[in-house]
Amino acid sequence: MIKYFLILIPLSLFCNECLTCHPKKMEQCANSNHYTLKNAINITRTAWGIKDSKVTLQTLPKPNYNIKKPQDLVDDFLRRKCLKCHLTSKAINQTNNLCLACHNTHQNKIDAKKAKSTQQKCLKCHNNEFIGTDYLGLFPHDYDKAYRSPLTKDGYYPKRPYGIDFHHLSSDIHHQKGLSCVDCHKKSKNKSWESKVDCKSCHQNLTQQNHKNYHDNLSCNSCHSAWNISSYELNVLRDDTPNYKQWKRLKVQEDTYLENFLTKALKTKQKLEPKMPDYLTNKMEDGIWYSGWKFRRWENFFLINSDDGTIKIAKPMFQYRISYKDQNGKTILDDLNTIDGKKIEAFVPKEPHTITKKAKSCEMCHENKIMLDKNLINKGLFQGIILKGSPLTQKQLEKLQSEFYKNQRAKILFSQ
Amino acid sequence: MKFLFILFYFTLFLYSQNIDNCLNCHTNTTPIDSYHPYKEFGCASCHGGDKKATIKEKAHKNIVLNPSRLEHASMFCGKCHQDIINRVDKSIMNNMHGILDVLKYQFKETQTIEKSTGIHYLKKKPTEKQTLAEDHFSKLCAACHINQKEEIFHNTGFVKRGGGCVDCHRVEDVEKIDIQNDILKLKHPKLSTKIPSSNCLKCHNRSNRIGLSYFGQFESEGYGTPYKDGKLTHKLDKGRYYYELPADIHHTSAKMDCIDCHTEAGVMGDGKHHAHMEDAVDISCKDCHSPNFQPTEQFGLAGMLTALNGDIPYSKKIAVTKKKNSPIYNLQKNDTNTTFYRKKDGKAFDISKMSDAPYHNSKNHERLDCTACHSSWIPSCYGCHEVYFKDRKQYDWIKHKQTKGKWMELRSYLRYESPALAIGYNEKIMPTAPGCQVIATIYDKDVKNDEFHSMAFAAWDPHTTQKHSRSCIDCHFNPQTLGLGAGILDIKDNNITFNPHYQSKEDGLPINYPIDSLISKEGKQFQSFSREKARGFNQKEVTKIVEAYKCIICHNKWDDPIYKDFPKSKKLFYEKKTSCSKEILK
Repeated sequence: MIKYFLILIPLSLFCNECLTCHPKKMEQCANSNHYTLKNAINITRTAWGIKDSKVTLQTLPKPNYNIKKPQDLVDDFLRRKCLKCHLTSKAINQTNNLCLACHNTHQNKIDAKKAKSTQQKCLKCHNNEFIGTDYLGLFPHDYDKAYRSPLTKDGYYPKRPYGIDFHHLSSDIHHQKGLSCVDCHKKSKNKSWESKVDCKSCHQNLTQQNHKNYHDNLSCNSCHSAWNISSYELNVLRDDTPNYKQWKRLKVQEDTYLENFLTKALKTKQKLEPKMPDYLTNKMEDGIWYSGWKFRRWENFFLINSDDGTIKIAKPMFQYRISYKDQNGKTILDDLNTIDGKKIEAFVPKEPHTITKKAKSCEMCHENKIMLDKNLINKGLFQGIILKGSPLTQKQLEKLQSEFYKNQRAKILFSQ
Repeated sequence: MKFLFILFYFTLFLYSQNIDNCLNCHTNTTPIDSYHPYKEFGCASCHGGDKKATIKEKAHKNIVLNPSRLEHASMFCGKCHQDIINRVDKSIMNNMHGILDVLKYQFKETQTIEKSTGIHYLKKKPTEKQTLAEDHFSKLCAACHINQKEEIFHNTGFVKRGGGCVDCHRVEDVEKIDIQNDILKLKHPKLSTKIPSSNCLKCHNRSNRIGLSYFGQFESEGYGTPYKDGKLTHKLDKGRYYYELPADIHHTSAKMDCIDCHTEAGVMGDGKHHAHMEDAVDISCKDCHSPNFQPTEQFGLAGMLTALNGDIPYSKKIAVTKKKNSPIYNLQKNDTNTTFYRKKDGKAFDISKMSDAPYHNSKNHERLDCTACHSSWIPSCYGCHEVYFKDRKQYDWIKHKQTKGKWMELRSYLRYESPALAIGYNEKIMPTAPGCQVIATIYDKDVKNDEFHSMAFAAWDPHTTQKHSRSCIDCHFNPQTLGLGAGILDIKDNNITFNPHYQSKEDGLPINYPIDSLISKEGKQFQSFSREKARGFNQKEVTKIVEAYKCIICHNKWDDPIYKDFPKSKKLFYEKKTSCSKEILK
């Protein structure tokens, strides 16, 4: 009952036109990850040191103004850097109707198909680091102005549909065959549209020997994704002082508001106040969040055990290094990358949407330097917590290099 | 040896006979070094002017502020060092003809690499008659040469370079101490033959970035991370940043400087006009790790350099370079020991000899250059999107003024991992990376009016040497090392398959192969080299390398007996005469 008043009534204000015909959808939506964004929020809050974080977009605390540690900053960071994408955000949905963030309008039962979500709608949010644009083969460019390449045939800078330039890598085979997001991510009688898609619901007849014999608990994606986005060391700085000069070459902050603001601030002689919006309240707040990577790669990956019982590719999120400078120019947090001796990073099992018919070679896992080279782990490259999963066990790692594997692999290599 | 010293002090004596009046005013001038004592030499022997005059105007007539600029050096430094000046004059660090000639070849302005005199040649050529490559060179490359005007770097955000001999040999700069009664009291620049690496790095931090790599710095994507005190860090110069990667073992284990390996003849030239840097360079790995020793007395130069250094002892036997037979006076052999001395302070180090273990002697690897296995990373900059505005102006580093034509460079992406291998300029297998992948767009009045592209790789010693070599699989089954680029390499039904990641066409690049592919899996070469003998692996080589992997999967140690006579082992295997073949070849 409380839930009804707290969530459903406010929600109904957003999409009353739709509710007349789709009354049940409201509750479904209220519980959905798309509406609450609880995954993204809680993974980040956990990585930034908040224990047992279980909040949603709707219950996210107001930003703290007394900042002493990363935990005090994380909600502000989420509000202004990550949560630009939510169903009622002006950035992606200019209407007052929450349903229209994903759906198109329709008039009656006959033209219901019109309401079907389009890939274009999904990609408004699902671009850049995560699954979405990778399906199209897109990998984000670096921020420096030198990476605005290649120039178009007419000699202009390339177009940036999501405020970012992209490299073009091999796209997902389903994309090549003309499938859009909702062709797989659809609701059925017993499943919500947010449920995991099982490859096997379409691909039932697996013939290859590999599929049957040794790789039972490996997700299809681990082998059949061609590449994935691995991002190393996301440095974030909230600067409450008007210090813009050092960002001259780095105006592309993957945020259109910020890019425009910096362009203006660096051109004008008057001092612009360092402010950027809280995307939940749409109010301007003090300070600007800047960010920059160490580097990003499409060649690297490693595997972890996922809580659903399969082995999946690990997505680093994001090896944070956090800084905060207050209005008086005092550095409160200076490049903090650990909390209680633990790195501020989380790995989560992910399934890159870069599926190819041709699977990875055996060597890409069995001779994978990141998994086998303990030095890389000792050197601190991969020390974060693993959420929704666990690292590969010693036994699993030994299996990668087992005599049995080598024997089987040699047979394949020498087969005519 | 003794004779040299006598000669030296005799010269000193001759000079000391006619002391000049300069020092009457310029009191407090600090010493230059122990070999140019101005109290004996006077000032005029280096700076000109009228040393007998007693009034400033007369004394300063025809005075030269920096006698080491090459146009003055013959007259002043040349009194003792004419031989060196002649060599330096022709050297690649002075003329930069290596870069210019390759650039013209890569811009397809010449059919072959035509030897020019580089900067000398362009000095005389009017801007409007310059080709595109020549203009590009003048605007972007020509800032670095040893006879550059130092003063032009004032307030530019760049380190100053040039000035002739002092570009390298000056270890402490000139400083005004005081002006009293219109008389300048100076700290005279200090000169030395112990050239600090920072002097080399003024220039050697671009292009193949050897100077940075050696010290473990990789020019980064430009993020300036991590932030410290709210500011970007790890800055190189204007808009360039770096992050740390493993430095070269010669730096980490002995803090060696560039001059510890690079000999006098290798750096200042041997009097010949060399087309490329690698031809001018004298040193090779084996000169020290598998050295030839000869009696020191055969090399007058060695004795002189040892004496000049002052920290390195004199030995009867020293190593010599294999290429130019020039002395490596800091690698010495005594009755029992071979010792390497660091030039900056004379600190002694034991030097490891190249072992004659099978991995070095194996016939299978006889074409490998040391760098192929021992280089751990290579700075690789993919896509050099050159933008040229015909009607805008930019500073010309040769003519020293703004001239017509402005260049701007954009990039695709950077990598450092898994250096690709190719056949290098010396016909040995070496690390390789893009150098340069030119995709040019030309604008007239801000409207695109022309375009061209010229995609090239280059092989070089990246100076990221490590003791441990790369693993067998890192070469034998790694598409990036083979030169195929990033993607999925596999073997199916005895055929090599390769699915690249990069999609150049979709990316809008004017090429029909992935930007990181030097060759196709069939060994077809997509991108060119600017050296006659350099090339990517051909089909036969690709097959041979990958074919070996089939055995490496189990036999992954170099001392495995099958590699003693690998062709024979393979033959036995295919004839099912080995223990594993019976099972594998069922």
